[in-house]
Amino acid sequence: MFLLKRLCTLGLAVLLAAGCASSGGRGQSRDTLVVYTGQAGDFQLNFNPYSPTFIEGMGTINEPLFFFNIAADQPPKPLLGTAYSWNGDGTELSITLRDNVSWSDGQKFTAKDVVFTLGMVAKNPALNKTAFQGTATATDDTHVVVKFPEPSYMDGPQVLGQMWIMPEHVWKDIANPATEVNPKPVGTGPFVLDDFKPQSFTLKANPKYWGGEPALKRIRYLSLSGNQAGVDALKAGSIDWQTGPIPDLKDIEKNYPGYKAITLPLNQVALFTCSNAQLGCQGAQTDPAVRRAIYYGMNRTQINSLAFQNVNSEMSPGFTLLPRDNALVSSKLTDRLAPMNPNTAKANELLTSAGYVKGADGIYAKDGKPLTLSVKVVAGWTDYITALETLAQQLLQIGIKITPQQLSWNEWADARGRGQYELLIDSVEQGPAPDPYYTYAYFFSTAATAPAGQSAYPNYSRFSNATVDQALAELKKTDRGNPARRQHYDAIQVELEKYMPYIPVLTGGVPNEYNAKAFTGWPSKDDLYAFPAVWKRPDASQVYVKLKPAGQ
Amino acid sequence: MGYHLRKLAFYLVALWAAVTLNFVVPRMMPGNPVDILMAKLQQRGGTVDPGARKAYETLLGTGGRDSVLHEYFAYLGNLARGDLGISVSAFPAKVSDVIGDALPWTVVLVGLATLLSFLLGVGLGAVVGWKRGTWLDALVPATTVLSAVPYFWLALILVAVLSSGLGWFPLNGGYDVVLDPGWSAEFIGSALYHGALPALTIVISSIGGWLLGMRNMMVSAMSEDYVLTARAKGLTDSRIMVRYAARNAVLPSVAGFAISLGFVVSGSIVTEQVFSYPGIGSKLLQAVQNNDYALMQGIFLVITIAVLGANLVVDLLYGLIDARTRDRSTVS
Repeated sequence: MFLLKRLCTLGLAVLLAAGCASSGGRGQSRDTLVVYTGQAGDFQLNFNPYSPTFIEGMGTINEPLFFFNIAADQPPKPLLGTAYSWNGDGTELSITLRDNVSWSDGQKFTAKDVVFTLGMVAKNPALNKTAFQGTATATDDTHVVVKFPEPSYMDGPQVLGQMWIMPEHVWKDIANPATEVNPKPVGTGPFVLDDFKPQSFTLKANPKYWGGEPALKRIRYLSLSGNQAGVDALKAGSIDWQTGPIPDLKDIEKNYPGYKAITLPLNQVALFTCSNAQLGCQGAQTDPAVRRAIYYGMNRTQINSLAFQNVNSEMSPGFTLLPRDNALVSSKLTDRLAPMNPNTAKANELLTSAGYVKGADGIYAKDGKPLTLSVKVVAGWTDYITALETLAQQLLQIGIKITPQQLSWNEWADARGRGQYELLIDSVEQGPAPDPYYTYAYFFSTAATAPAGQSAYPNYSRFSNATVDQALAELKKTDRGNPARRQHYDAIQVELEKYMPYIPVLTGGVPNEYNAKAFTGWPSKDDLYAFPAVWKRPDASQVYVKLKPAGQ
Repeated sequence: MGYHLRKLAFYLVALWAAVTLNFVVPRMMPGNPVDILMAKLQQRGGTVDPGARKAYETLLGTGGRDSVLHEYFAYLGNLARGDLGISVSAFPAKVSDVIGDALPWTVVLVGLATLLSFLLGVGLGAVVGWKRGTWLDALVPATTVLSAVPYFWLALILVAVLSSGLGWFPLNGGYDVVLDPGWSAEFIGSALYHGALPALTIVISSIGGWLLGMRNMMVSAMSEDYVLTARAKGLTDSRIMVRYAARNAVLPSVAGFAISLGFVVSGSIVTEQVFSYPGIGSKLLQAVQNNDYALMQGIFLVITIAVLGANLVVDLLYGLIDARTRDRSTVS
């Protein structure tokens, strides 16, 4: 082992030669927040918020007009806009803009910038991520009217909250905004780019910000190789904020002194089923009775404790996000919440009345075909894999055999998109505003699906239901806040519970770990002013603005 | 001359075959870049609006309108012009830029580590072979065990002990992020400091092979007649060891070393993953995970050329050094 020793000494010599350079900014003064957004590998310079490979800028550098907080049912927070209103039939959106705003290069922000930005998005299909079809006109320097070809209340949050306003005087000269990397971003936001290096980049406070210079002077973004590196860095105290699971989360304050964690529901874990035989799905899961039997055969309490460290919570079969949408849960649902404990009798009854007969091996069968299903999961998603292994044991009790199948990420995503699966585990996501409408429109509408074999996005289940489509069309024509929406939400939830194209498992919690000792002002369960995931934009920018170095 | 032409022709055919494989293999992977990108963004809390998919499809131009054959000839044409295309995972950066940024890190780290490992291994192997039968023989099993230990595990153990536990080395990264990359002493010091542990793990895990090979060649060289003659002439031991035995014994190791230099550019995916080190290995992983065909092709091309180039150089050098490999008629 003398060789090892010798090499260690060699390493030490290098160490001494280099001096004790601080790692990851630990030695920095504490008005610099160090964050890890999950960037694996080097950063590629790109501050264009309309590019799919952007690294930062949404909300921090380029602001939207309003901030829609999907964590809590609150009115949107005015940013570059101060007020907005719809005309009677939802085809005209009038926006009033903030007056005293200037771009980070000193020019004044006006309605022309907003008109330019919306026009640029509408003209460039490659930028138009929300299928925006409106035309914007400025009535004066602080008023903009956006006209839509059809009632578009539901496009409001996209236009107001997801369109990052770009400076006309800079961007009008850019020939192809879709491939621009915006190396010197000019914005109205609370932060401006300080410096960029492939391993890390830094934003600094914008002294001219209309809301006053943020107390946080710098934000440093680090790139690491993945979750494990993130946990190591947290342990070493070299990052202040990250989002993602860590081992032994509930004892965070003991294991990582100074750090705290908050876990908030963002999505709903479900067994996705290729549900629609008419669109080419194959397998026993195309029978709603089988899907409902799985729903009743599940022991959610056990899954939560074995697979999810008990951070997940109950969910409603109507796919409203709880607790945010508590008021929207339909009274017409059979189960207000998916049962946490299995109901074996109910599951057996469902299968028997659907014509299934239990075989000698305890597995139900119909027409000689046993009730066995494969369920696809991404290799390495350990929490989901554990959940499925637990579930496989549980479902044997009700005579259904499921076999977890681990795939590479690409293969799994491909199977999901093209409907080449029986079951898979994933989560149902939220839209741009605190409203289940978006979840329904994305995951349950006929418009967002395609026959099996073709790529569907994002209604992977191939679910197609006239009642749901009808209710969504009505909701699109009704302004948010109008009590008439209630009946349509009810109608959708009843259909979802009846057919279960996505079999509800649990509401998924997103754990966030943050340095509560060095910084104050983090979102808490009592003050959920933004969704506190570091990769959630523009929410993260709201957190940055509120944070203060401890002691200030 | 015929020998060299034959060799060159062979390498051209090998290059064409490799380039064609580069084109075919990535396309056999499941999935397409747009869906992977959407799924990635969605996982990171991005938008799931159906409109986003259409926008990115337009942007990345993966409509699949052209036939595969058409794509293949376009690919060959672009290669000939040195245009490797646009990377999807680092859109809109050029593949050549992405590779250009990553390559120096890998070449320096893995190159230096390979060189160090070769020099140490061959040097120690010569000594161990010369003094066979002494306690030094224990080095052979000791280093072989270290090579046999799975590399990622060895690396993780060293990180746990030396970085997390003792704090002697940084946990990850290629340099201290507060510094500006450049030719300043501070930056180079930081890069050396950050590279020390990754290099150490590579050296530890690969030294055994060199040591074993050199030691065995040394032992057989020492039983050759010319060593006996040298001893009879009364030359000093050190002169016999270095000029007579080691010089002949090192030949196969030199060939091995030249070939392993070719593999330096392919980097060490695991090293770069464990240490979050910037380099070509992590770029390759990124390309594979994102179905980034252009980037994969670019990296494979660089690796192919490096390996073929190293082989060609070795082949030609051997032709010079050893007449037996050059002329078929003199053999047997």
